Amino acid sequence: MDPIFNEAATKIQNSSLLEYKKNGGRVIGYVCSHVPEEVIAAADMLPFRLRGIEIKSTAIGDSYFGPFVCSCPKALLQNAGEGRFSFLDGAIMVQACDSMRRLDECWRKAGTDFPGSLPDFFHYFAVPHKVTEYSVQFFAEEIEKLAKAIEEHFKVSITEQKLDEAIETYNTTRDLLVQLEALRHRDSPPLTGSEAMAIVLAGTAMPKSDYNKLLGATIEDLKKQRAKTHAGKPRILLAGSVVDDLTLIDAIEAEGAVVVADTVCFGARAYSGHVEKGNSRWETLARRYLNEQFCPRMFGYSNERYELILKKFKDSKADGIVFQNIRFCDLHGSENGLFNKRLDKAGIPNTRIEREYGELSDEGRVRMRIGAFLETLERGKSAA
Amino acid sequence: MRQELMEYDFIWSVNNLLSTAAKTAKGTPKEYQALLKRIPHFADLIDSMVGLGEPGIVFLESFAEYTDMILKAKAQGKKTCFTTFCQSPVILHAMDVVPLVLEVLTVAGTLIRKSAIGEFMDYCLEAGFTETSCSSQRGSMGAYLAGLAEKPDFVLIDTPGICDTNANSFAFAAAHFDIPFYQLNYPPTLDDERSIEYHRKDFKHMISFLEEQTGKKLDVGRLREIMLEMQRQDEMVCELQDLQRLIPNPVPGIYNLFIYAIRFTMAGLPACTRMIEVMLKKAKENAAAKRAGTSSGKEHKRALFVYIDHYAANLPLFNFLDQHNISHLGGILDRYYQEDAFYKGASSYKTETETLDAMIDSLARQNAHLPMVKQIRGPYDSPEMWLDEVKRLAEALNPDLAIYSGTPGCRNTWGMVKLFVNDLEKTGYPTHIINSDAFDDRVESWEATAHRLQEFLDLRGFN
Repeated sequence: MDPIFNEAATKIQNSSLLEYKKNGGRVIGYVCSHVPEEVIAAADMLPFRLRGIEIKSTAIGDSYFGPFVCSCPKALLQNAGEGRFSFLDGAIMVQACDSMRRLDECWRKAGTDFPGSLPDFFHYFAVPHKVTEYSVQFFAEEIEKLAKAIEEHFKVSITEQKLDEAIETYNTTRDLLVQLEALRHRDSPPLTGSEAMAIVLAGTAMPKSDYNKLLGATIEDLKKQRAKTHAGKPRILLAGSVVDDLTLIDAIEAEGAVVVADTVCFGARAYSGHVEKGNSRWETLARRYLNEQFCPRMFGYSNERYELILKKFKDSKADGIVFQNIRFCDLHGSENGLFNKRLDKAGIPNTRIEREYGELSDEGRVRMRIGAFLETLERGKSAA
Repeated sequence: MRQELMEYDFIWSVNNLLSTAAKTAKGTPKEYQALLKRIPHFADLIDSMVGLGEPGIVFLESFAEYTDMILKAKAQGKKTCFTTFCQSPVILHAMDVVPLVLEVLTVAGTLIRKSAIGEFMDYCLEAGFTETSCSSQRGSMGAYLAGLAEKPDFVLIDTPGICDTNANSFAFAAAHFDIPFYQLNYPPTLDDERSIEYHRKDFKHMISFLEEQTGKKLDVGRLREIMLEMQRQDEMVCELQDLQRLIPNPVPGIYNLFIYAIRFTMAGLPACTRMIEVMLKKAKENAAAKRAGTSSGKEHKRALFVYIDHYAANLPLFNFLDQHNISHLGGILDRYYQEDAFYKGASSYKTETETLDAMIDSLARQNAHLPMVKQIRGPYDSPEMWLDEVKRLAEALNPDLAIYSGTPGCRNTWGMVKLFVNDLEKTGYPTHIINSDAFDDRVESWEATAHRLQEFLDLRGFN
């Protein structure tokens, strides 16, 4: 696997990004999978999904957010305050969930205390919480509004041709990532869950044209691989809150399992579905970015998400499901609870853990829980 | 859960205690005192309600009437729905749907079932909830999940885009009970044409959902009748809130709770009108006598609540304020943005009843201005949002101090409250953050909360 994936997955200011900036490229950061990257790409800029990796504390985040708030946006603010996002030319805030949407105010206020931490272009992006014809229409207008704001601020033009090109590029990425996922479903997956996640994460942090070429070549290599490295290991489907670093999956795999699929933000959620062709680009974008109802911030679609998890579980031939939620992420936490009970009734092994965000995860405790879960899987197999 | 809590239906318990409590005042003083000795857990609460005179007794009667509606709903062929405090019940009453307003029922539970509500909250965890979910729904919802109240027919809320933990709780309940779910969804802006149009379409869509659930077409005449009653209530609420601007403020602090508890459940019904009438009458009498609404009739300081109140058993927050002669100037739960409201700023609603479309527009706009739906849907410092509102209220009400009280489950306000309080302090309003859980005094005992509040008052020179 190309080391550039791992570097982009584990370092915010990765070499690919720095090279892009060195050549005069502009970057817009965003915080949620409901943001249509194609619009940014069509403005000849790099959409960069913001992550809270590399931090050593959340001291800055804690100063602005209150105590009962998820550590994910706090970690993002920490990175902003520590200057790790200094390459950003713009940022898009989203009312993704209550914790994340307050990053808007906290970052703006921190911007006055940490000069230079707030990008000049700072846009608030509204995403409806339901899928109806009028919400899709509203969202299409919101996307158009975003495009106009980018055009106006950066003095660029987002043409239909550029949008079509970007849509094609991003659909190609999605197709490639679906292929990658299919490889993970093999009886003997040619890569670990951590390696797969590194590849997916890299796609959110480097130019897509380079990424697609590298990804295509990697998939071809992986297709040829026949070593039985991961055969026979317990196969895990990972679900729940946002996972944007490798430590959680590393912890699961360190216990002897292999993560063969996921439904998490940054993971499978980022490449599901296609932007279809249509008369209005805004509307086709709106349909793709609103219709993929993986996140429980889309209230009332619990059954659809449950069915998706079941499908992934079957397709990936997983042995068990690990549900996890970041503390204070009630959306995933409560839905994990619902699914946990339904799956128990259906006889599908699963476990439910609560953790802190990303690299702040209490690894020892998580590993102990995973280890215990894997033991139950083993026992279940022996009993069968 | 303790066996004793599982012996009786939760709603029946609330109904039974409140309706009985309302009758106590009809006895002789000797009978009344004898009765208090027999109900040690509720004596303080009942005594403080009865001590308020007619408004206290009418509140007990009105709330008993509300819970009676719930108990009789199925027998009368009415549907029931889980709903939330910031969803107007008017359209539900017009369609013969009985609203089960979980937050209000949780408060009722904290008042009448000693320690029970905590166990109901914990039951939610057994059902799959996170312990960090908002306690305001978890209390009464726990009773429903545990089978201690009759399962609702459907869920209807308006908090997506406003409060995730709220919306999430209701979505959880719909999935748990496998019942239909409808959400009114709010964009982060309020008064632009796109948002208004979105509210309108969403509200019409909701009416179709209600028609489907009830099997009945919306009765336009009935809706008009209820809306006109609500308009009358709105006018009186505005009058009552105008009185709060007087120095001293003649409106007793507990009236704020009465206003929202009754409005969230029975807006548009005669019981709500009667409740507001008696409060207005008493407040006017106080104003005429230049008396404050405190028990002593004196006003030492004026406190503006910028979010919600505190609902531990026996309502100690209100007693604390009363004992310190601090006037309660209302909180976010009392702000409805009627066109006559003194705090309306550039955004309000008007009750229009000429045509069905006008009524729907009017209701959609009213709903968009309800507590939380208006103030915390977008960035707190955007025009017409939370900070704007509180500054405007502060200018009109002349508070000496401001107090934030909420729940740890409130991701939305805890995500920004430090910044918000900082802004208020800079504007010149000493502001205290209560760190406890307004609905669950196991998180922080009232004694600890009171100690910190007292410390704030001492340090800022309010004693």
